Amino acid sequence: MKLFDALLGRTKLKKPKIEALFALSTAYISLEALGFKPGGVSGICFKPVESSRFSELESNLRELLQLSASETGTTCQFKTDEYNYNWIILSDEDFEDLVTTTHLISETVIEHDFEERLLCSIFTFGDVYLIYSYKEGSFYPFAPLADRKRDGNLEFRLRSAMEGELPIEKELEKWHPLWGIPF
Amino acid sequence: MKRWQRDSGLSARMFLTMFMLFVLYIVFIGVLDYLGLPLGTILLVAGVMLFAQYYYSDKMVLYSTGARVVTESEEPGLHEIVSRLCIEADLPKPRIAVVNSSVPNAFATGRSPKKALVAVTTALTQRLDRNEVAAVLAHELTHVKNRDVMVLTIASFFSTIAFFLVRYLIFFGGSRRGGGQIMIAWVASIAVWIVSSLLIRALSRYREFAADRGAAIITGHPSHLVSALMKISGSMDRVPTEDLRKAEGMNAFYIIPVISKSSIMALFSTHPPLKKRVAALEKISREMELA
Repeated sequence: MKLFDALLGRTKLKKPKIEALFALSTAYISLEALGFKPGGVSGICFKPVESSRFSELESNLRELLQLSASETGTTCQFKTDEYNYNWIILSDEDFEDLVTTTHLISETVIEHDFEERLLCSIFTFGDVYLIYSYKEGSFYPFAPLADRKRDGNLEFRLRSAMEGELPIEKELEKWHPLWGIPF
Repeated sequence: MKRWQRDSGLSARMFLTMFMLFVLYIVFIGVLDYLGLPLGTILLVAGVMLFAQYYYSDKMVLYSTGARVVTESEEPGLHEIVSRLCIEADLPKPRIAVVNSSVPNAFATGRSPKKALVAVTTALTQRLDRNEVAAVLAHELTHVKNRDVMVLTIASFFSTIAFFLVRYLIFFGGSRRGGGQIMIAWVASIAVWIVSSLLIRALSRYREFAADRGAAIITGHPSHLVSALMKISGSMDRVPTEDLRKAEGMNAFYIIPVISKSSIMALFSTHPPLKKRVAALEKISREMELA
């Protein structure tokens, strides 16, 4: 039906997949064993929409995060980057809590009917970022160097460590870089 | 798909236009065949020409506009914007080119999403803010996603044949066949050429509306495209004439101007008037609020 949509000029955005996020709550153990130490930070990146219902979502998210902060001790920060994308940055020493809260926030965004706006969530493993693409439901590594170069070596090392543990993005052209990650 | 993202009327008009073109072309083939013209040769020659134009659309446009493909370190901002839009729209990242021009404009070309090329003029990045540039690029990426180069190439196939017949049919005739038949074929070609040109332009305008809608859906901000269109059209009035002439020459390079490039502004009748585009975007904005 993709071609049919194209012919009739319909634009459809992919629905997000969030279940694969949970794979990370066990996979991090083997990644750590292979030398990729999980950092205590994660970020969820989504694009705001010009609609009053979107500000409703924002206040709901803040409430939710306050609630979960009292339970799990996860702290959070809201940021807008230079391209006007919103970031929710979470910190928690307990990696499993971090994954759970990331999942919870993604779920809330979906429940508010803004599911297509979810771009990615990002976890840190030492010097390299692990990006979860909501549209594909898969992970890929991103190791930025100075001057917009990527450390391909490090990325492929993390990729091989992920093998069998996490769904890896197979198409290399979808390993989109995200420069200026705000954490 | 959400309600505000759909426009059944637009899709229906698009479908109807394509269907009318199809019927027109079938009748045209019938007439040519009936009159005993060398249909096979005509189809082959036109087919090869159009396929070449389609296949090399990106290279031809790069050459004729003087656009220069830029790397990530040359234009980090543009690359970052396009990357993120591509994630949203589920597209492979196209090549990005910059045209040195004082007219703010943008276009997309290439035979498939994988071979796509998106170009912006230097004036566009200078005069528009980041949100507006993103909206314009999302519009161009929707052209890529909707495969507009392919659609319009196919749609204009027989129109091109008709155009050539109008010009060269005189040389065909003479000796072997009767002058009367050539005359009929010539009149039929003119009629097909005129009607199909109108239909193709209508189709092209519908696809512009679709690209505007796509940009609103991808960015989530219809208003960014509105302000971009306003700025572009505002500065259109102040452009130096040479650039406009250059732009026109570029179009003459193609048999039908819309074939390989779809420029964002209402410069030609292939584009709907600004007012209508803005009204359509405002409607999307209202629907988003109500959804």
